[in-house]
Amino acid sequence: MFSKILIANRGEIAVRIIRACKELGIKTVAVYSEADRTSLHVKMADEAICIGPAKAEHSYLNIPAIVSASEITDVDGIHPGYGFLSQNAHFAEICESCNITFIGPSAESIRLMGDKIAAKDLMRKSGIPIVPGTMSAVKNKEEALKTARRIGYPVMVKASAGGGGRGMRVCHNDVRLISALMTCQTEAQAAFGNSDVFVEKFVDEPRHIEFQILGDQAGHMIHLGERDCTIQRRHQKLIEESPSPAIDAKMRRKMGELAVRAAKAANYHSAGTVEFLLDQTGAFFFIEMNTRIQVEHPVTEVVTGVDLIKEQIRIAAGEPMTIKQEAVELKGWAIEARINAEDPANNFAPSPGRITAYHQPGGRGIRVDTHCFSGYEVPPYYDSMLAKLIVSGPTRQEAIRVMQRALDEFVIEPLRTTIPLHKQIFSDPTFWRGQISTNYIEKLLGPHE
Amino acid sequence: MEKKRSSEREAFRLIEDMLELMEQRGLVELEIEQTGLRIRLKKAGGPGPQLVEYVAGLPQPVAPHASPAAKPAAAEGGGRSIIIKSPMVGSFYRAPAPDAPPFLEIGQDIEPGQVVCIIEAMKLMNEIKAEVRGRVTEILVQNGDPVEFGQPLFAVEPP
Repeated sequence: MFSKILIANRGEIAVRIIRACKELGIKTVAVYSEADRTSLHVKMADEAICIGPAKAEHSYLNIPAIVSASEITDVDGIHPGYGFLSQNAHFAEICESCNITFIGPSAESIRLMGDKIAAKDLMRKSGIPIVPGTMSAVKNKEEALKTARRIGYPVMVKASAGGGGRGMRVCHNDVRLISALMTCQTEAQAAFGNSDVFVEKFVDEPRHIEFQILGDQAGHMIHLGERDCTIQRRHQKLIEESPSPAIDAKMRRKMGELAVRAAKAANYHSAGTVEFLLDQTGAFFFIEMNTRIQVEHPVTEVVTGVDLIKEQIRIAAGEPMTIKQEAVELKGWAIEARINAEDPANNFAPSPGRITAYHQPGGRGIRVDTHCFSGYEVPPYYDSMLAKLIVSGPTRQEAIRVMQRALDEFVIEPLRTTIPLHKQIFSDPTFWRGQISTNYIEKLLGPHE
Repeated sequence: MEKKRSSEREAFRLIEDMLELMEQRGLVELEIEQTGLRIRLKKAGGPGPQLVEYVAGLPQPVAPHASPAAKPAAAEGGGRSIIIKSPMVGSFYRAPAPDAPPFLEIGQDIEPGQVVCIIEAMKLMNEIKAEVRGRVTEILVQNGDPVEFGQPLFAVEPP
């Protein structure tokens, strides 16, 4: 088992990881930028090292600074959290060469799944349904047009090296396809350093269903059920729930098996997520695999009782996984609402600044994962998430009621947050009925969204 | 009158330096005393009482950035000292090799571009160069110490 772990991240996930380490008796090292000097993860860790100025590229993405911090504090493991360097195969390799365990999958798995085209190809060979489209980077517009006519419009142009919803465009005809090709290639080059794009069928009004998988280094792999992350704004998830209202036990078994097969095909170990789109007919398609712990992991933890971060740490330490697939059960219902420092009444303009009054909801069925506290100065340099509000109940209806109560209790003054938007969603009859697809937010807020 | 104005100006400059130091080091309170002058600054409505209560329940962090030597030395500079801070994370060395003489000693004059120390990061020896001119008044870290980004290394009195 590790004696000391460095957390290469910030905010609520750094706090989450430090908590898991404390419970396992592992010492912790926090790294922080100058803008995060008063941050909660810095206060909670046993040691803290300033690694650079505010900008992420000079601090949380600064590999030499982070590795150097690991060396001077003599850690034996690094947990990368999510975002930042968590899916950077190069970083995973450097950790390996410095004899520090990267808490996650191998660099190879990261690299393989990070290449969307190669990932789709691997899935197809493993008999996992994929969204129809080009099987390699589009070479020219003739190929794109031919593919579009074969699979039928509407189609989506996607960056191979993209992720998190970026570098994608929907096209309904030849003209739009040609212009989207050029724009996506340029954007992809600028954002990901790789201009490869591919064309695939645009699945209309889908649900986004993802499966949590967990595997040890001996090859034992299980799934921990699904999360429904259909409610998104501009491809950013807002609300996640487990189980999904659209999945029954039979589908769960079927999709779960495929998710495990996908992870095994990628020689995976640690925690990961296999993402599918589920269309209106009940057909589903693999879209990508995330080779890291995810923001919304708490909903799975709540319904399965598994501590995913501790499992990641144990697996990375070489321990065999003790959880058996037959023992995995989704009990009750959990829903997570992401509370961001954004003003929904003002086109989601960011709202950083000092929190003068903070009070989080409490009582039965509530879990809040956050790095915020009264007096905390929310910096403008990083993502806008303030807290994850996770509720649970014996049924979906009861979980929704807990959420409504919790949203009423939550105080984060004077910042503008997405709490009012969540209040609107959680009292919407369409949401209550669970009849949603990925354009739900667009429909709710109006066409300018 | 003249004397009073110049000491007021000095006090004002000292307050400016103290405020900068507080920002840099994340301090909530700082008190400095020098001949004829004592100034105490306290951040209003800062992280405040709630945070003090929280921290009291936790084991004290053994953070390199909380090194006590750094704070008074910088303050004693009386507001005129320039602090050379570490531009990277690593291990601090005063000389190019274990048996070589140190790059500089207290009282030495330095020029911009002059190598003042080595910071070792990921097995690479990085030569850190001064960007200021002046006389070295303090060496704020020990040979072999781990240093973080922004950590004060030397106090230099400009000419």
